[in-house]
Amino acid sequence: MSGQPGDSAYAGVTLRPGRCVAAVIRDATVVPLPRVLHGAIRPAGADEVLGAIAAAAPGDIQAVTIDLSRLLLEAVLHPAGTGRVAVIRIVPRAAMDPRLARSPAELVERLVARRFTVGGGHDLLGNELCPLDTAELARVCAHLRRAGVRGVAIVAPGSQAQPEHERAVADAVQAALPDAHISAATDFGGQGLVAREATVILDCALGAIANRLLNVWEDAIRRSGTGAALRVARGDGGYSTPSRARALPALTLGAADALELCGAAYLHGAQECRVVLPRPGGHVSGDVRHGLAVVRAAELAGIGTALVVPTAVLAPDPGVSQNGEPRWVRDVPVVHASGDPDALACVGAAVSQPTAWIDEVAFIESAEHLERIRREAEERVSAIVMANGAAPGTAYLTEASIVAVPYSPAGTVRIRVRVAGAADGGLRRAHGGVPAEPVAP
Amino acid sequence: MSSAATGPGYIGMVSSIGAADVLTLYEGAKFYSPAVGDASKASLTSWLTGLLDRNGPVALRRADALPPETPCISLCVLGSGAALADLPPAGDEFALAVQRIERLQRVTFGAIYPLAAATVSALAPVAAASQLGLPLLDADGMGRTFALIHHTAMHLAGVSPTPLVAYGATGESVLIDAQSASRGTRLLGANVDPLGGWAALAAYPTTAGVLRRAALPGTVSRLVNVGRLLLERTDPDRLVARLAAIIGCHRVGRGRIVEFEQLSRPTDRTIPAHPSSLVIEESGERGRQLRIELRSEIVAVFADGLLVAGVPDVLCLLDVSRGEIATLDSLEVGDLVDVLVTPADGLWYSAEGLAMVGLASHGINLDHPRRR
Repeated sequence: MSGQPGDSAYAGVTLRPGRCVAAVIRDATVVPLPRVLHGAIRPAGADEVLGAIAAAAPGDIQAVTIDLSRLLLEAVLHPAGTGRVAVIRIVPRAAMDPRLARSPAELVERLVARRFTVGGGHDLLGNELCPLDTAELARVCAHLRRAGVRGVAIVAPGSQAQPEHERAVADAVQAALPDAHISAATDFGGQGLVAREATVILDCALGAIANRLLNVWEDAIRRSGTGAALRVARGDGGYSTPSRARALPALTLGAADALELCGAAYLHGAQECRVVLPRPGGHVSGDVRHGLAVVRAAELAGIGTALVVPTAVLAPDPGVSQNGEPRWVRDVPVVHASGDPDALACVGAAVSQPTAWIDEVAFIESAEHLERIRREAEERVSAIVMANGAAPGTAYLTEASIVAVPYSPAGTVRIRVRVAGAADGGLRRAHGGVPAEPVAP
Repeated sequence: MSSAATGPGYIGMVSSIGAADVLTLYEGAKFYSPAVGDASKASLTSWLTGLLDRNGPVALRRADALPPETPCISLCVLGSGAALADLPPAGDEFALAVQRIERLQRVTFGAIYPLAAATVSALAPVAAASQLGLPLLDADGMGRTFALIHHTAMHLAGVSPTPLVAYGATGESVLIDAQSASRGTRLLGANVDPLGGWAALAAYPTTAGVLRRAALPGTVSRLVNVGRLLLERTDPDRLVARLAAIIGCHRVGRGRIVEFEQLSRPTDRTIPAHPSSLVIEESGERGRQLRIELRSEIVAVFADGLLVAGVPDVLCLLDVSRGEIATLDSLEVGDLVDVLVTPADGLWYSAEGLAMVGLASHGINLDHPRRR
């Protein structure tokens, strides 16, 4: 794979409990590094990793993108290191059935110390269904203060359209517990109260460990003297800044799968392809379009319920037919990934771009109104991608889908927009796959 | 396994629905109406599984297996699946809706039946039957999902949908007793949004004897049988062949979605959702342009401008990359899909059936392909 004049070196690092794997891409070529470096979640280990990266590309390292997702998933699976969370569900009426009062995912529910219901909530378009029960909210806050709770997850129906009740509850909780980590579902958007609740529970539980990890790596980058930027891989295979990842750590969940798809596609020089990944239980496959992993807000492997954080769509791979053709998908090249999955994820992290998405419900009355809503959504997500590290003017639309919401009032639409960008002096894609549709400033 | 693939009755008949059947039922129900996304799948299937674990399997009975005078009531989820996902049920809405009609009519219902055995409306009656300790009828009013609650076999047979009760997750309810089915639909439509965008609907109180002639039989068993095939996640070619064998499904074409259009046809406010369209570029040598017309469900499929399928056909998209049914609120440009067509129950191709739910009801004034 030939390099581009002016390309610099970029590193990707995958963190796992007790070890990490790193890769450096320089002039579009993978520079070999020691495969496994130990102790990478402690300061000395991070120093060791960054030393090896600097040695691989002396003076040229522009950025290091770290993938926290496997470590954070491990923290969920074995939650000794995560904080337990109080959940406040704001709904017109408490669930009468125990299964409806909790998360359907046992892993998520294990992170919950106590649940509360406060009357309130809005419909999908932001109309109030029930006034916020401020008396009950005061009782809940008093209980939380007595219990010394450190993490509070808040979710309300309709908060994507009207966050008023969630914000009022968050304000009251913060006043009662100034040191608490508060996660509110309105910060994530997305569809479905249970998926949004699971996302904020995980976000809240992982806040402390994500903060510790980012402190370690920010300090190590500073000590390294390389001047490299630190970036954090997102679940959709893009990257964000450490400050965004610290504020919303759930956005980093699931990154490893998307990075693995992108890494494999990059090494094969493919912008549009299907990637087959080996897994212990059999092969799985996922798609890459415009050099980015195809993602969806769906169930994250190992969690047991849907989240609103988009992650790579992986399905069992059906293999090839008797004549050697791929069985299901035959209109794009199929890339068979090989080698260490962590190493592929590192390549994917090194070549990743800043990304952002939104998933909202809106109401349109005419074609002109639809166009305005679409443009406003693109502008919002463009602003988010800049907050995630994109240089001004580099944001471009990678996906936009507007579909009518079935059995809703005429004019109700679901809008999903995904945008990517480039950092200043960013790595050029292997085959120049940046689509040509810029987002309106 | 609480369901029996063979046994007394007929091949494919299911005698009960237990906890182990819930995911199968869900998948089959999605095939017959792919309108609702999976955002509430985990919580609804967990709820129903929990009920069936605690209370045991729900007996599934043909209408003619019950004494003809047995009072029966239908249930469905009225409104938007997206609203249901965002405002989940408290869990008692369906049973409370049934009990409100019991009090009004001073009857005790002896069986529940689905108003529409498809999408989440196929799960809710099982949950209520479990809560109320009643059998579920292996029959429904649509055999799929249509837009309005009087688009049923019962209505065509002269059974009134009223009195009906819509019970919301807000804890509020509406009782409607209208002079005609269409008036009932209209009055109901005005109340769905204030209840949060969806409600538990109990309607069409009648007897098992009436339902022997007025409902579509075997439509719950069919969901389980179709769901079993879908859960195998087999090669789409093989899946379509198997579905063809049991329900007459066939594939119109395979291709990638290239465009969405909103407000693509004139809108009237009598039917939920607005008309929209999507365009698929067919893969392979034929390379046709497939145009899919939507209005809550897929209502028509055109290939290079020629109408090749339309309501009341059951129309759905299979996501080829994932090997599962694609839901209509989660489609994206670039998705590779198979367009599948399955004949609906024969009643819907009659003159009166087509007049009520055919293409003309969606403003498409063309002869149905099956009647040319």
